[in-house]
Amino acid sequence: MEYFIQQVINGITLGGVYALIALGYTMVYGIIQLINFAHGEFFAAGGYMGVILISYFAAQGMPPFACLGLALLLSMIYCALLAMGVERLAYRPLRHSSRLSVLLSALGMSIFLQNGLMLTQGVYDKPYPTEITSGGFSFGMITISYMQILIVGLTSALLIGLNLLVFKTRIGKAMRATAQDKVMSSMVGINSNRIIALTFAIGAGLAAAAGIMVGLYYGSVNYTMGFVPGIKAFAAAVLGGIGNITGAMLGGFLIGMIEIMAAGYISSEYKDVFAFIILIAVLYFMPTGIMGENVDDTRV
Amino acid sequence: MKRLMTKATVLAVALTLGLGCVAFAKDLKLGSMSPLTGPYAADGNDIANGVRVAIEVMKEQGGVPGFSDITLIPGDTACDPRQAVASANKLINEEVTAVIGAYCSSSTIPASETLAEEDIFMLTPASTSPIVTERDLKNMFRTCGRDDHQAPAAVKFMSDVMHYKSVYIVDDKTTYSQGVADGVEAAAKEAGIKVLGHDHVNQGDKDYSAILTKVKTANPDIFYISLQNSATGSLMVIQAKRLGIKAALMGQDAVYHPQLVEIAKGDAEGMFCTFGAIDKNAPAYKDFMSKYEAMFNAEPGAYSAYAYDSAMAYLLAVKKAGTTDFDKVRTALLDLKFVGASKTVDYEANGDSGSNYTVYIVKDGRFQPYWNSLSGEKFM
Repeated sequence: MEYFIQQVINGITLGGVYALIALGYTMVYGIIQLINFAHGEFFAAGGYMGVILISYFAAQGMPPFACLGLALLLSMIYCALLAMGVERLAYRPLRHSSRLSVLLSALGMSIFLQNGLMLTQGVYDKPYPTEITSGGFSFGMITISYMQILIVGLTSALLIGLNLLVFKTRIGKAMRATAQDKVMSSMVGINSNRIIALTFAIGAGLAAAAGIMVGLYYGSVNYTMGFVPGIKAFAAAVLGGIGNITGAMLGGFLIGMIEIMAAGYISSEYKDVFAFIILIAVLYFMPTGIMGENVDDTRV
Repeated sequence: MKRLMTKATVLAVALTLGLGCVAFAKDLKLGSMSPLTGPYAADGNDIANGVRVAIEVMKEQGGVPGFSDITLIPGDTACDPRQAVASANKLINEEVTAVIGAYCSSSTIPASETLAEEDIFMLTPASTSPIVTERDLKNMFRTCGRDDHQAPAAVKFMSDVMHYKSVYIVDDKTTYSQGVADGVEAAAKEAGIKVLGHDHVNQGDKDYSAILTKVKTANPDIFYISLQNSATGSLMVIQAKRLGIKAALMGQDAVYHPQLVEIAKGDAEGMFCTFGAIDKNAPAYKDFMSKYEAMFNAEPGAYSAYAYDSAMAYLLAVKKAGTTDFDKVRTALLDLKFVGASKTVDYEANGDSGSNYTVYIVKDGRFQPYWNSLSGEKFM
């Protein structure tokens, strides 16, 4: 039983990370039907920016949690700007060409950003100052680290914030309108280019937060770190119903939990196999994913 | 008229000879093969840099007679067999005479066969799979040790020195990492150590919490980590400590890297690793280290010294043979015996140069020798 509870805790933590990344995929897909392959790279860039800023602020003698908070905020802003730049350069000029061209442009952007990180930051892993958040609680055999609490707490806060933004504000309304019909929404005075750029920015900001969480949790970042979680988070977005925010969160937690349970009870070698078998099974019975019904007004 | 002809002939001959001399004073081209991109790029760059130091040192010592310059053409394998062969073909076109590399055994094996067809030497500083030197390839030399010596050395340490009764093994399924892990499993069973589990993780994984929870529940005396890379090794160490695993930790020579301590910091304290014995206080290593640090402003990586020695061995052999002719250089390489940065290099007929594994322990933030498997000497 203790073993099971420990695995559930592991699963929720991993799922939280996937959920944060999956949101970016799903938001961008929801609004321009593009699978943004460069999204994993925003996550990696955020992780790198985080460690650079944390080290810088720590060197200025700031208290650890202030360093962390400030670094988190600035990295999110940095990645948001990066994503807006990528959108402007690589996606907007192709807005009216075939979907395949945009997809290829996204793939190219991913390779470009990954190699850019390699060339500017080097090939070695960059260590994170994990001592900020070391330690945790133990109940018998069960261990919960502060970092796990931080990940789940921050993820939940960001998810709630995003939901409020999308469903309760005017900007959110404009985003939903653009997702439904770009032409129609421009007619009523919504600047769709600006809304699309904003969607990219928000998605990348969340990915940056995930990058820092991952860096702190696992202890290091490297330039290839975006690839595997990017694929998993994409799967999570599809599982939840791509285009649907709540679905992406659900998908993220589900994929995380399935992976951990498959590794814990069957074999670590096959955990990805199980995660993707479930994905295929769900898509077989629910082709639009778990939450992806044709309820257009909940899409972003 | 006749005298004029003679003069012209003499002039022509002189010119030809002169031109011949210019053509003769050519570059000695060395290739290196290692993963310069991808997840193992850290070790790969350490290897290329080790070769660069060897070339620099050789030039300072007056170079190789008959060659005006020594140049390095670095090849990238990305630890991928197909890219390794492509890289080997590229180096063949560049007309290199020897290649230092590769890193992953799964790259070295196919690439060495391509190079063998062109009579180009391959001296590996890091590929420890036994198969590497068991194919009767005349061009294959190995400066590091062998896995089938490493696993027994690790188990001997567990049973004879530490008297551990149980072990849990994890690997990440590469030719190398699984080879060592299987070797440890077999040797442990023979030595009467209970193998509580042997699991595999996928390359590129970052989250090991599920498998580590298994390890924690099994509660072994020692947890053996056979991963392809020190960065993933450090992730596993951090997560193991965070989860409260009390078992001793042990890694192999791919986990052994300054990066392990840099990333895992305090969590790596007390961890054991097997690595080919390098005496870091030996004058040869110290010379190498100061040169390396001056050139790259970084500490040598785990395999830098082996790469340096591999390149040095080849350059010395060419110097001795006075030519790059394959058979003559091969004879010179087999005759060669010199004190290198990593060890005394002395190649056997099959290209191996012997294994001498030492168990290192992380203490005070760095690797320190703990026990030598050949002599049985304990250092602390």
